[in-house]
Amino acid sequence: MESPKMQTAVAEDLFQLVREPIDARAIVPLVKAPEDGAVVIFDGFVRNNFKGHQTLYLEYESYEAMAYAKMREIGAHVHANFSIDRLAIVHRLGRLEIGETSVLIAVSSAHRAAAFDACRYAIEALKHGVPIWKREYFAGGAVWAEGQKPTQQAISAPGSSTLK
Amino acid sequence: MRVRVLFFGRLKEIVGATEQEAELSDGARVQDLFERYGRRFPELADFRSSIAASVNQEYAEWRAQLKSGDEVAFLPPVSGG
Repeated sequence: MESPKMQTAVAEDLFQLVREPIDARAIVPLVKAPEDGAVVIFDGFVRNNFKGHQTLYLEYESYEAMAYAKMREIGAHVHANFSIDRLAIVHRLGRLEIGETSVLIAVSSAHRAAAFDACRYAIEALKHGVPIWKREYFAGGAVWAEGQKPTQQAISAPGSSTLK
Repeated sequence: MRVRVLFFGRLKEIVGATEQEAELSDGARVQDLFERYGRRFPELADFRSSIAASVNQEYAEWRAQLKSGDEVAFLPPVSGG
């Protein structure tokens, strides 16, 4: 079996960093095939508060080349570990307003259990291993979100302690 | 040898730059490069235990040896999603 590093995501997967609003209605059809029976969607959007502060807006930045590489690796591990059809991970960069989607993950499969598990894995792996950073703007100023020290293990080890 | 160094998030603010070129002696390690910046920017050194390093877009050990043309990045705690 190839080492995970040599696997590539299947052609129909979608991994994107965008700078305009994310529309799930445009993305979900891209992962649905006639053989599928389920699509699980994770929509992460901007909350109006953090740590007792009212959020004004957020900004996301990324080490884009590495983020793409790590998203594709997440895709490879998802396919290797879950019986799913297609995976889409779309993350937005730049300024986002309250309520706007920052990340959309869609997973299709013949049956729902694998889709739920794969989707959960993908968002946890992204949050612990993909080089993207959030800056929170509030009335008193701005701070970088505390975040998680990023690791390769977060990308390549489903079922590790990153899954809570 | 010459390498490219990238900083992100809070680290970028401390160093005052996103991307720099650095001249290193052969066999220099990732940690040597970081320590050089840490001497110039003491606040950077405070982050040592909470950041990760990458070389050519792969997570790297601090003791990894660099070669000419490598792209090194210092990555603060991530907060995507």
